[in-house]
Amino acid sequence: MRKIWLIIKREYVTRVKTKGFVIGTLIVPLIGIGFTSLIVFLVGHQSNQALRLAIIDNAGGLAPSVVGGLDAKLPSGQPMYVVTETIDRPASPSDIQDGLRARINSGALDAYLVIPKDLDKSAELHTKNPGAYAQFGPLTSAVNQAVVESRLNARGIHVDDVRDIVRSSDLQVIKVSKEGESVERGQTLGVAIALVILLYTSLLMYGIITMRSILEEKTTRTMEVLISAVDPFQLLAGKILGVAAVAFTQFAIWSVSLALLATYGAAMAAMTGAGAALAGIHVPGALLAYAGIYFFGGYFLYSSMFAAVGAACSNEQDAAQLQWIAMAPLVFTMVIYSLVLNDSSSRASVILSEIPFFAPVLMPLRVSLQVPPAWQIALSIGLLFLSIVVVIYCSAKIYRVGILMYGKRPTLPELVRWLRYS
Amino acid sequence: MDAIALENVTKSYDSVTAVSGVNLRVRQGAVLGLLGPNGAGKTTTIRMVMNILVPDEGSILVLGQPVSDKTRDSVGYLPEERGLYPRMKVRSLIVFFAALHGLSEDEADRRAREWLERFELSEWSEKKMVDLSKGMQQKVQFITAVLHRPPIVILDEPFSGLDPVNAATVKDIMLEMRDQGSTIILSTHRMEQVEKMCDSICLINHGRSVLDGDLRAIKQSYGKNTVHVEFTGPDSFLTHPAIAAVDRFATGVEAKLKPGADPQEILKAAVQAGAQITRFELLEPSLNEIFIEKTARA
Repeated sequence: MRKIWLIIKREYVTRVKTKGFVIGTLIVPLIGIGFTSLIVFLVGHQSNQALRLAIIDNAGGLAPSVVGGLDAKLPSGQPMYVVTETIDRPASPSDIQDGLRARINSGALDAYLVIPKDLDKSAELHTKNPGAYAQFGPLTSAVNQAVVESRLNARGIHVDDVRDIVRSSDLQVIKVSKEGESVERGQTLGVAIALVILLYTSLLMYGIITMRSILEEKTTRTMEVLISAVDPFQLLAGKILGVAAVAFTQFAIWSVSLALLATYGAAMAAMTGAGAALAGIHVPGALLAYAGIYFFGGYFLYSSMFAAVGAACSNEQDAAQLQWIAMAPLVFTMVIYSLVLNDSSSRASVILSEIPFFAPVLMPLRVSLQVPPAWQIALSIGLLFLSIVVVIYCSAKIYRVGILMYGKRPTLPELVRWLRYS
Repeated sequence: MDAIALENVTKSYDSVTAVSGVNLRVRQGAVLGLLGPNGAGKTTTIRMVMNILVPDEGSILVLGQPVSDKTRDSVGYLPEERGLYPRMKVRSLIVFFAALHGLSEDEADRRAREWLERFELSEWSEKKMVDLSKGMQQKVQFITAVLHRPPIVILDEPFSGLDPVNAATVKDIMLEMRDQGSTIILSTHRMEQVEKMCDSICLINHGRSVLDGDLRAIKQSYGKNTVHVEFTGPDSFLTHPAIAAVDRFATGVEAKLKPGADPQEILKAAVQAGAQITRFELLEPSLNEIFIEKTARA
């Protein structure tokens, strides 16, 4: 046990001290927080500016109706539009436009709206900043509404009656779960996909780290010295547990910074109203716990396979060619996960999520969509841990033979034969 | 009790028999030369003693105990193909390996400082391995093999890459360990080192032990069948029918005699041919010759 502990400690300490770990663990969340804050700040800041608008009404009589429709508010509660002036049926529209253009360029005005004489033609918005889409939506509907009203009036139809009749209705999606009901705004799908990507990339990344680490011991021939001091199984166990400890540290740091990000984001959302989407995402603690269990289960399963690949090869190129053995089931999970996403309780989803090689990604995905029956979770954890034992046993055998082998890359049948060596 | 006892040990990989029925006893406190051509089965034999490989047949005892994880800590091993974590610092690396061999980290650290001092590596102790020269790395390797003071040390080509000064330091340490009661197994292709350091040898060829025992006794059993001649003048006498083979050096020649030949006949022939003889000496065969003869015949 002491030897395993020493190996874990060395693996952990040397790995945590590397630049890659520091960058990956500390800088990445910082960049995330920085970007989010920047976006929240910019969005909040930009939408605090009202649009100063002049209206040229060539048709006549429409401007008051448009102004009446521009009742949109900024997040701060201030009106989104400030109409500086309305010009009704100007004698010389082009002179007026020249004047307005000059005022926009001098910064006294942001835009002017031209309502055509013939209402079948388009109205025009002349603006300095044609990219500010958020400001165009309410303006478009205000113009639309004014035009429709003027046509209805021309036909003697009462505007309010029509408005009552054609008022549209929304479809609001509400997620039903054991905890109750919550309004769905796409956050379930967002969390599910983020979870799949996170589990897949972490399993792959840490598997490859384990493989590289063993390969390095082989290529530098440190292995020869190591096996004179420890049993190969102790070496393998220490390596896998050491990298697991690194993964745990990294996730702990990320979780804390995610919590900070959520708190910060929520605070910003409360202040500006711009982070509403962020605040709407709620990740239940149970889901995080399951994701943790399945990640570490999956890590032990996959990293022991990657370890066997690392031990069997003598250089990076060979390992790159042989690592498909360990990667294939993981990549296949990414091919089939949409099946589960579409219907998480279909027979296919249930069966696939019970298969140990897919369970580490698919079962947390199912939990995030709709919590499956307890027996299905229990069974998949049971099967997962059973196969970890079997895979580690086989990997340890390949490892034991592989670490002494140099030269050409072994073929799959050779690896199988190594399983039978004593 | 022997330090190491192999009895009828056999090991095969697939269809290749690497070691076949090897018997070997190494007396405690002895320096044994483990010899053999490349691919003869030396590394496999050593790995079985280290419990890295398990023999198919036969038994191996280390200090009277069957090999196990426990016996592994009584053996220090310097493998031929060696390397150490390139990005670890020298002293923490030595401490790591010593701790793996069972020393407490404090004790390991104390000894590491001592050894680094002895090998004039103190100022390098906080440097990474990759920053060290090849020779310095070799010295660190040697330290990791002996720091835990194992009763048995197996050294595979310990002098390779060392300059004469450092090679002498390593040799002195080996003899010092022997005097303190350690058993040393020296595996090397450099026969002159074996002749200087070992009291017994074991020669392995094609997985079999073809010669083993006390080095002096082995050489004596060959008798004085070689003449060393230093001379000026004609060398036509070297074609004398009693001479089996001639080895020429800068200063003279070594002539191996046919069995039963009389060295006096060679001296006579040389004088008759008109050679000016400055030295004429009867020798035991060198280990080099014995090695070549034994491995060529098998």
